[in-house]
Amino acid sequence: MKAGFLACALALAAAALLGAAPLARIQAILARPKVLCGRFDQSKQLVGLKKPVTSNGRFCVVAEKGVLWRSLQPFPATVKLTRDQIIQMQGERVTSRLDAEREPAVQMIHSVVFALLAGDLAPLEKLFVIEGDVHENSWSVTLKAREPGLAKVLGGIALEGGVFVKGITISEASGDLTKIVFSAIQTGEGAMSADEAALF
Amino acid sequence: MNRRSLSAWVWGVIVSLLLAHNAYLLVSERLVPDTDILALLPVQERDPVLQQAVTQVVASTQQRLIVLVGADDWAQASRAADAYRAVLIPHAELLRLDERANQWQKDLMLFRQHRLILLSPGDEIALRREPESYWIDSALSKLYSPFGAKPAAWQDDPFGLFNAWMQARVGETPVRPRAGRLFVGDGRRQYVVMPFTLAAPAFSLSAQDALMPLLERARQAARAATPQAEILAAGVILYAAAAGAQAQREVSIIGAGSMLGIAALIWLTFRSLKPILWIMLSIGVGCLGALSLCWLLFERIHLLTLVFGASLIGGAQDYGSYFLCNRLTAEGQSLDSRQLLRRLLPALVLALVTTVVGYLALALTPFPGLRQMAVFSALGLIFAWLTVVFWFPALVGSVVMKSGPAVRWLSGSSWRWPSLRGPRPILWAMGLLAVAVFGLSRLGVRDDIRLLQNAPRDLLDDQLKLSRLLAVPAPAQFYLLRGPTAEDLLQREEALTERLDALVEKEIISGYLAMSNWVPSLRTQAARHSLIEKKLLNENGALVTLARRIGADDQWVGSTRDRLRASAAPLTPSEFLETSAGESARHLWLGQVDGGYASIVALRGVGEANLPLLRRAGSGLDGAQWVDTVEEISSVLGRYRKYMGWVIVLSYFAVYVLLYSRYGRAAWRVLAPIALASVATLAWLGLAGQGLQLFHVLALMLLLGVGVDYGIFFQDHPGRSDPVGWLAVALSALSTLLSFGLLSLSKTPALQAFGLTILIGTIAVCLIVPCFGYENLRKVDEAGRGVP
Repeated sequence: MKAGFLACALALAAAALLGAAPLARIQAILARPKVLCGRFDQSKQLVGLKKPVTSNGRFCVVAEKGVLWRSLQPFPATVKLTRDQIIQMQGERVTSRLDAEREPAVQMIHSVVFALLAGDLAPLEKLFVIEGDVHENSWSVTLKAREPGLAKVLGGIALEGGVFVKGITISEASGDLTKIVFSAIQTGEGAMSADEAALF
Repeated sequence: MNRRSLSAWVWGVIVSLLLAHNAYLLVSERLVPDTDILALLPVQERDPVLQQAVTQVVASTQQRLIVLVGADDWAQASRAADAYRAVLIPHAELLRLDERANQWQKDLMLFRQHRLILLSPGDEIALRREPESYWIDSALSKLYSPFGAKPAAWQDDPFGLFNAWMQARVGETPVRPRAGRLFVGDGRRQYVVMPFTLAAPAFSLSAQDALMPLLERARQAARAATPQAEILAAGVILYAAAAGAQAQREVSIIGAGSMLGIAALIWLTFRSLKPILWIMLSIGVGCLGALSLCWLLFERIHLLTLVFGASLIGGAQDYGSYFLCNRLTAEGQSLDSRQLLRRLLPALVLALVTTVVGYLALALTPFPGLRQMAVFSALGLIFAWLTVVFWFPALVGSVVMKSGPAVRWLSGSSWRWPSLRGPRPILWAMGLLAVAVFGLSRLGVRDDIRLLQNAPRDLLDDQLKLSRLLAVPAPAQFYLLRGPTAEDLLQREEALTERLDALVEKEIISGYLAMSNWVPSLRTQAARHSLIEKKLLNENGALVTLARRIGADDQWVGSTRDRLRASAAPLTPSEFLETSAGESARHLWLGQVDGGYASIVALRGVGEANLPLLRRAGSGLDGAQWVDTVEEISSVLGRYRKYMGWVIVLSYFAVYVLLYSRYGRAAWRVLAPIALASVATLAWLGLAGQGLQLFHVLALMLLLGVGVDYGIFFQDHPGRSDPVGWLAVALSALSTLLSFGLLSLSKTPALQAFGLTILIGTIAVCLIVPCFGYENLRKVDEAGRGVP
């Protein structure tokens, strides 16, 4: 009786541990630099289009500040996300600006994008059901939005990484598939170029 | 049984019926007064389509209660709002929270099927002006951007036109969904928006009584959750409840105050309880009769009618006390009550007719509320009068009335009154005349809808702030458009909105709501389709170039083009009205009325200074009409102020003719004091800096009715030896002063102005009447008593 009880408790604890494990272990593997910059290569596979549409550029994730996403090839465009606003630019021209004061979605988008790029998944659990695998120093997770409306718009998100996030796959409801691979990652003060720093 | 006691019996049966009807109304709980302030506003002057437009705008807001709970950050605001909501949610029988915001997904499906014809004004201009490269860049930036939730997949909306249209529609309100709630922010505070719909009518007193304490509890709960929470609430029911509570307070103050005052006066005069009971009886029957017949006529009674009606008590006691005063005199004591009544009847009839005519003049205005007040008052007087005529002779019988000390004092005072003889009074009169002329010269006018309103300051402040935060369209100003067909109507809307776009650009208004924003006219739908074909879709269009840039083949161009073309099906108003977005725009669309179609274009961010500009913006367009209900009511008030002024002048002539039949040449003596008192009242208004308004004029009309009574009583007992006229006038005037003095304490500006005018006018009449009353019997006086 006593032994049975103990086994039962152990099984429960193990189940709890297994459930909680991936996120905690991912958090343990991840490095959390103050500044993280790198190159991205994006490949978009659109339904009905034979070849994927590819682009590349640079991105920076700065703790406490936000995210800078600069497409360079073939079409230059910049997106800057902070807690307070999202600004899109083509060259010098601002094509859209959203303020968190008026558009509460700004904070949500910012926190999701920041968390995805930094691999900091804990804050996303409120919005997404997260399932994952961890193998030694690499990991992969899938995110499904809890709210049906958001799930419809975002589709499914898959993330893989090690010390840093290595790639993101976004599958939209329409069937379009976007793959982003990160490389040449630098951290620390010197990671950001002068013109990138100027944009913040 | 002789004929007279038969009439008393018949009257008894009628009074019993009245009692039974009143009891029935009370028991069946149908006797709930109306508190809708709008019921006071004029209706008949409008054409039916305009009337329906106004009704629809009002109806769209009437059953709504909007609550904003704000704090410095979202978490605190949410906590307070949840606490607030938790108090209200269990009371679904009173109100429920609208959660329409969550249905936009379904709407999106429909709009997506028509996306090729839904264009924002900016994109429509850009399609005409911008080169192909603009559209290529726009499409590529959207393609490569990994962010941003879009309403349609990139291939379904490569140039972002549908997205931009959606953005424009979303921009019609600053309210945003946020974490399962609705949000609005002003940069300093963050608010949770909670739109409620009332289950019971906003003007139902029981709904108000149930809801008000509940809202207070919810407010306290929110404050307990977040002490610094700011709670803003707006809704017709709040105004109705405030107005209702205030009117009930005023009815009881005026009613009880007048009753007590009159009882005291009668006691002082007759030193007996019986006269008090008799007069209360006549007043009581008057009230019962007024209530019953008004209910039968109007099927409802406005609370303000009761406030105004409470001041009737002062008028209704006149006839009874006149009769009783006459019993005091030696002559009255020698006659029995029936004979006395026969003698008094002509004066009593004249007094009733003139006063009732005075009240009924109010019924000439197009204000339904005023009509009800007038009919209520006239009926009350008639029933009180009939009670005196049918019952008093039997009740009073041959009781000999003794006079109290007040009578002796009054009789004495009549001897001390100045006469209009000799140079001194004339000098006085000249002096007063100069003051009056000065006062009149300073008299301005004020025709303002605010006269009819008396909302508490904090309610108005809340409403103002809430309207600003939510960018609520102006409720009182809008354009009304008409067309023979729905298509014509939408085209006319578009002609107007094209002008309004220019005003938005100049920041004269912040935006507008129109059906054609959602459903363009078929002509515009076709024009847009061909514009998009030409610029984007056809062989030389941007789509082909775009395909080359992203390495797509002709097949992709073909299939994308086909998909876009397939979403160009015409969108119709009825299709749109089925959606939840259509639900919230329903009040804009009047649909088929009066052999044509009509709609409303509502404006946001309207400043008072820009109203003339907005009126001009609508002029010269077919079927477009600028509606400003505030201005409309003000102009009705102004027109009726002038109109009633002339009615008063004519009434003086009419009353003169009536009086002439009885007093002959002396008839002017009855009217002159009232005319002078009216002038004095106007002069006082001028000196006090009050603008002349309809309600002053209406009060002067009534003053004629009331004042004529005094003149009549006085003319029938003109001698200084006869205190009856003097006494009856004094009693009547004091009770009128009491009733209307109490009415002038009302917080409804219109009633206050009315009460105050009667108050001042009556005082003036009382002061002046004796100067005109005795001349023809002066010689008799001199012979009998000697000159004092």
